[in-house]
Amino acid sequence: MATTPAAAERLLNLVIALVNTPGRMTKEQVRTTVAGYGDAPSDDAFERMFERDKDTLRELGVPVLTVTDASHGDDFGYRIDLDTYALAPIDLTAAELGVLTMAAELWQDRSLRADSTRALTKLRAVGQAPGSTDLVAGLTPRVRDGGGAFAPLVDAVQSRQAVRFTYRAATSGEVRERVVEPWKLLARRGGWVLVGRDRDRGASRSFRLSRIEGAVRTVGPVEAFETPAADELAEALSSWDSGTRGVATLAVLPERASALRTRHVPDDAPHPTVEGRDVLRVPYRAQWELAEEVVGYGDAVLVLEPASLRDAALSLLRTAAALDDKEPARG
Amino acid sequence: MADRASDRLLRMLGMIAYLDRHEGVPVGEIAEHFGVSAAQVMQDVELLWVTGTPGYLPYDLIDFDASAYDQGVVRLTEGRGMTRPLRLGAREAVSLVAALRALDGALGPALDDERAAVLRSALAKLTAATGDAATAVDVALAASGTPGVTSAIAMALREGRRLHIRYVNASDVATERDVDPIRLVTDDERSYLLGWCRAVDGERLFRVDRVLDAVVLDEAAEQHDVAPGADTFAPSSSAELVTLHLASRARWVAEVTPVEAVRNHEDGSFEVDVRVVNRDWLQHLLLQVAGSVVSISPPSVSADAAAAARSALDAYERLALR
Repeated sequence: MATTPAAAERLLNLVIALVNTPGRMTKEQVRTTVAGYGDAPSDDAFERMFERDKDTLRELGVPVLTVTDASHGDDFGYRIDLDTYALAPIDLTAAELGVLTMAAELWQDRSLRADSTRALTKLRAVGQAPGSTDLVAGLTPRVRDGGGAFAPLVDAVQSRQAVRFTYRAATSGEVRERVVEPWKLLARRGGWVLVGRDRDRGASRSFRLSRIEGAVRTVGPVEAFETPAADELAEALSSWDSGTRGVATLAVLPERASALRTRHVPDDAPHPTVEGRDVLRVPYRAQWELAEEVVGYGDAVLVLEPASLRDAALSLLRTAAALDDKEPARG
Repeated sequence: MADRASDRLLRMLGMIAYLDRHEGVPVGEIAEHFGVSAAQVMQDVELLWVTGTPGYLPYDLIDFDASAYDQGVVRLTEGRGMTRPLRLGAREAVSLVAALRALDGALGPALDDERAAVLRSALAKLTAATGDAATAVDVALAASGTPGVTSAIAMALREGRRLHIRYVNASDVATERDVDPIRLVTDDERSYLLGWCRAVDGERLFRVDRVLDAVVLDEAAEQHDVAPGADTFAPSSSAELVTLHLASRARWVAEVTPVEAVRNHEDGSFEVDVRVVNRDWLQHLLLQVAGSVVSISPPSVSADAAAAARSALDAYERLALR
């Protein structure tokens, strides 16, 4: 897109004109009076220029309202309502602006990064002094890219509009169209997840954004569904929230699995003794998660309790013991 | 799509609102505040000076104190009604509030009281100014590592001091070393310490959940230049290339492992090429995803993993736990 100084100047003049107009400005008034529009070589060129500028302003959060004049029927014009335009009263100290600057750098996602950078530009207007980021020197949080699906999904969550997308299911590999009422986007355990109501299934489902193939399109009107009730949402989110679910008893070879050892919790309950091994209690969030971790250590870590966790580990090991029956990949 | 015209427009609108709140600000200070050059600030001011309401006669225009400007100080004398700061768009509010909440959740424990208070007041002010828009997005950063280790790393970074750590690698071998800390990188999966390892005299990325113990030393850390991208794990291209053909349900492997290539098959299964620096790491992974393996190349990789699994099953057998 052309990024001439003229574009910024024209946009600025349009904003000032629409803020200061007593009632509204028609398109024709914009063309004849606002600096920059008179240069349009033809009706079509003006039309395209004005439409694009209006879209740009709305994208930036400038509320350009369409106003119909009752006495002129379908003759409509535009204005910017200052009360809608303005940020709620807020003052930021230099330190707070510094924290916000760091927060804006959290995102690796391009569209999120652009959004947070814009937000920061706007907030600088109400900052007391340049923000200093040494507050949190050396701490670099980051959240990976949500891909092309992210921005349209955030918009759809906020406007409560259903979406349609093609999804590759994790369990079956089946590729199918889904129509979903989007509730919330989560960044968890290395990826972005959409939680919402799958219309075909009539139940809440989670979708990994990395398994959405192609574009996300909106379906039907905005405000098409109610925000889920608190307990319904909590239920749908429960599998993504961390928190200790249980404590396992493990038998570990001496000097091995030090990383696992750092998480053990001392307790007074009598420990079983296992010859040649240390017995430790280690808390876990989900059994499958700890089973996978333990199995990774081979014979160095064995599960004593609970039995269900031990069965999960044994089942993984039996499968792995048959790995050398598989044929090597070709090519 | 952010292009330069819209970024500049936002900055100029921000400047008017800022200058309305601050009586006469030197160009250099505005430049620092908005993160642009002094030359850019002057171009912006000069453009603002010729914009205004239709008619564009002197009293229609945004105006500055010309004699102050000659002294390099910008003083707004007429804002043409543009002095109120522009609100945040819905997605803009979401992006900042969600980021702040994630920071609070992950870094809260590593910050001292004063810094934690700043983070929370920024979050409270922003939430008050933007409403509950931000509930659309919820980010949990992984704060892996024990509290003692995390706070020692945070303190060493803050005070620029050297760390002595005990670290266990992917082969489950623990070593002790002195490290000059550079950055603590926390993502949605785990935390890493990027540091200069004095034992190998080079930069190393340490997984914080594998730091067994960390002690802040009295010596100051030396400054080291690190390559951009050093805080992202990327195995060397000379490492062994292993191809895994996995069933669809193991797709997370492609998501959490730095893979060279992914090839999707018609049946939903997929192949990934992985550069393997450490076979123990790969074996750990294979024991976890064994049920989803269609095939592995080279075959010695699967033979090793299967042998490790059989040896673990034997150990259970000896304890009569099978």
